[in-house]
Amino acid sequence: MEREKVLDVKNLYAVFKIQKKEYEVLHDISFDVHRNETVCIVGESGCGKSVTTLCVMGLLPKNGRVISGSIEVDGTDLTKLSANEVRKFRGKKMGMIFQEPMTALNPLLTIGYQLRENLMLHRLVDKKTADKMAVEYLTKVGIANPESRLKQYPFQLSGGLRQRVLIAMVLSAQPDLLIADEPTTALDVTIQKQVLSLLNGLKKDMNAGIMFITHDLGVVAEIADKVVVLYAGRKVEEGSAQQVFNDPRHPYTVGLMKAVPNVDKDEFVIEPIPGMFPNITEEIPGCRFNPRCAYTKQCPLCTKEAPEMLEVEPGHFVACHLVKENAQ
Amino acid sequence: MTTEKKKLLELRKLKKYFPASGGRSLKAVEDVSFVLYQGEKFGVVGESGCGKSTLGRTILQLYQQTSGSCVYYGKSIQELNPKYIRKEISKLKSYQQDASRFYQKSLEVDKKAAEINEQAMSLDPDGSSKDAKKYDKLRREVLKLELQSKELRKDASRSLREGSRTIGSLILCKDLDKIVELFNKAEDEVKAAHDTFVSYDKLKTQFEANETAIDQALNVDAWIAEVEGKGELNEQEQYHLADLKYIKSQVAGVNVEKLKADNEALRPKMEELEAEIKKHHDIEMGYRQEAFDKYHGKDILPITELTLDKEYQDKLDRNYETGINLAKLTPEEMRSIRPDLQMVFQDPAASLDPRESIGKAIEEVFEIHTKLPKSVRRQRTLRLLNEVDLKAEHYYAYPHSLSGGMKQRVGIARAIALDPSFVVLDEAVSALDVSVQAQILQLLNKLRDENNLTYLFITHDLGVVKHFCDRVLVMYLGNTCELADSWDLFHNPLHPYTKSLLDAVPRMRLGQEENEEDILQGEVPSPINPPSGCPFHTRCKHCMDICRKEKPKSVEAEPNHFVSCHLYDKKKEN
Repeated sequence: MEREKVLDVKNLYAVFKIQKKEYEVLHDISFDVHRNETVCIVGESGCGKSVTTLCVMGLLPKNGRVISGSIEVDGTDLTKLSANEVRKFRGKKMGMIFQEPMTALNPLLTIGYQLRENLMLHRLVDKKTADKMAVEYLTKVGIANPESRLKQYPFQLSGGLRQRVLIAMVLSAQPDLLIADEPTTALDVTIQKQVLSLLNGLKKDMNAGIMFITHDLGVVAEIADKVVVLYAGRKVEEGSAQQVFNDPRHPYTVGLMKAVPNVDKDEFVIEPIPGMFPNITEEIPGCRFNPRCAYTKQCPLCTKEAPEMLEVEPGHFVACHLVKENAQ
Repeated sequence: MTTEKKKLLELRKLKKYFPASGGRSLKAVEDVSFVLYQGEKFGVVGESGCGKSTLGRTILQLYQQTSGSCVYYGKSIQELNPKYIRKEISKLKSYQQDASRFYQKSLEVDKKAAEINEQAMSLDPDGSSKDAKKYDKLRREVLKLELQSKELRKDASRSLREGSRTIGSLILCKDLDKIVELFNKAEDEVKAAHDTFVSYDKLKTQFEANETAIDQALNVDAWIAEVEGKGELNEQEQYHLADLKYIKSQVAGVNVEKLKADNEALRPKMEELEAEIKKHHDIEMGYRQEAFDKYHGKDILPITELTLDKEYQDKLDRNYETGINLAKLTPEEMRSIRPDLQMVFQDPAASLDPRESIGKAIEEVFEIHTKLPKSVRRQRTLRLLNEVDLKAEHYYAYPHSLSGGMKQRVGIARAIALDPSFVVLDEAVSALDVSVQAQILQLLNKLRDENNLTYLFITHDLGVVKHFCDRVLVMYLGNTCELADSWDLFHNPLHPYTKSLLDAVPRMRLGQEENEEDILQGEVPSPINPPSGCPFHTRCKHCMDICRKEKPKSVEAEPNHFVSCHLYDKKKEN
């Protein structure tokens, strides 16, 4: 069964200008999100996962720009639209949940006001209906006494509740694409679990695609259908959650999995990936991962040529010379 | 284990309340007691607001504790010579007298209560209404008096407990004057030892300065050659080279042979002082021993009804503190013990001054706490940078040019600079990416093995705790839930909170069955107005009647596995 694509990113290149010089932050990023699917973008800080979301939302800072590639939301290429036209997509077609719910909510306005404003703008309903719908959505995200919550200000809510309010706000516009940028990183584990199970439950109801950004592989395992691993602005591996977790191919993915102190394992040898994460100003010829990779010495191509994406099994792509060599 | 574990730190009923609005208090840490052994990696886990960070800071006396005690065994009393001990000794007599007075008073109150009670008993409560009213009034009075007497007895035992911290059960002896005399004599020896230690420290500093000068004079050419051999130098490396050349000009006139001879002359002097310190220490211990040998368990005064009880005496003996009670130190004394007790913070960027180079930031530690000359400070800083796997040229770098992991290494270098024995790691790896996190954990392990460190590792990440810590304490709303060896805790969690916490951890496992009921609902209550009884009862699915009323005590449900939960009190009884 062919599912409808809600987001299709193709060959995306983006640069940041730092001190009058442009540095590449995204290099040939392609992936897509279907309806009823959660795609997790994983990587360490600085790998470009947040920049990817900003590109999609059209919220890049002034010193950044997309130089080529396309971002199609529901068949419309956002890169070809003007800023004003992209604005019509934001909120309505694609909604975003941020890491810090406190900074995403206006501290001077009540929850009710902010929810109502959103509903009136995107759903074109009057004030009364908007209030009714706000209560409905707050109930949907599992908030008790929604009526009294509407009169409260963000500072009166706990972190978990604020995040729920944000989710309700995004849902209320009925977007086709939900972008969640580390939505649970600032929450405690027990609250994180509540929010994740909420998102998992809502996925079916809202019939939208979710693009989920995180650095926590445990969270990925709980929520992802598909995983995209980024390293230093490049996609290194992509596949279904089963493929990436049960059979990681890229040395970086393997290293990342090993570095996580896993609660389930009894024995754990702390095995960090050697070296440091590269700065974007650093130029690394060949594979971006080669200075930290254990197999660089065995393979002459790593330091010379950037590896291409190779489909190792249906739907599972890896960019590594070594994997390519072994496959042949 | 055959080798006996050495105590480093002992907490007894440590409490920390913060004042809150409306005269209420925020109960951040409530009655936490445990013993930390030397070389241990002790983990403290809990959600935010459970008091784990406050606990770490209260132990280090960065926050003043509300009550309880925190005794440190890592440094000898001779080295510090704290003033509070002598003060306590002078108060011993009054502790004993107070206890006796309180107890006598409570007896009087008891007698009065008994009299009134007798009066009440002579009346018939079911008789005339007048009688019934009077009966009620008298009974109320009896209850009031009984409460008063209970309070007085508590005061009496509190007095004795205070005294027992300094001399154990000797506080009960009749010959307290003689004991005080012996202990005062011991204190004189401590003072003498401390004076000797000060002059010893001076010589040691001189010795190290000479060593550094010798080292520099002999090796500076090699160091310069090494840097120059790199070819093209970046800015920091150029600074490094310039500094090395400066050192070369400084050590040009140094007579290595003379310095060596000086140090040779210093060595016997230092040994002499060391022997003297030891001698004072032996005499001091002799006095204490004499006091115990002569008076322990003899001529015990019947101060309260408990004092003749052997069990009670043993309890008082256990109160005897041979370490340093951190809360009782003066600010100056605390400052001099600070090098021993260090802390690494979560956000490495916030703990570094952005306008100060890394080298300066680390050197500052030596400037404040030691009298080492500049050349030695620099040398030590470079050695530290090497120890935490940074390069010499990072000495000249500024925080903004380092990555998060490198900044955290600087934070760690600062913490271990003065050779501490105890380091509190407050979420030290939480802000780092997994691959860097593993690197820092590896570094921490290495440093512990090399420098004999003890860690208090505060974190919310159960995965890290499981694989990094030897023993783990789980906290909830300022209270301890469970304390066990790491392996035990993760394979056999007993407390319902620990279980739900473990359930909530995102697993690296696919296709797990999601069970709505297993997800812990609700949120952590406010510590200003904590729930009555067990703090976890509002979210616990095993909640019973008793949980709402009574706070559970920590029981040893299994060997070395302590848990505070009513589910386990019962098992013990049955």
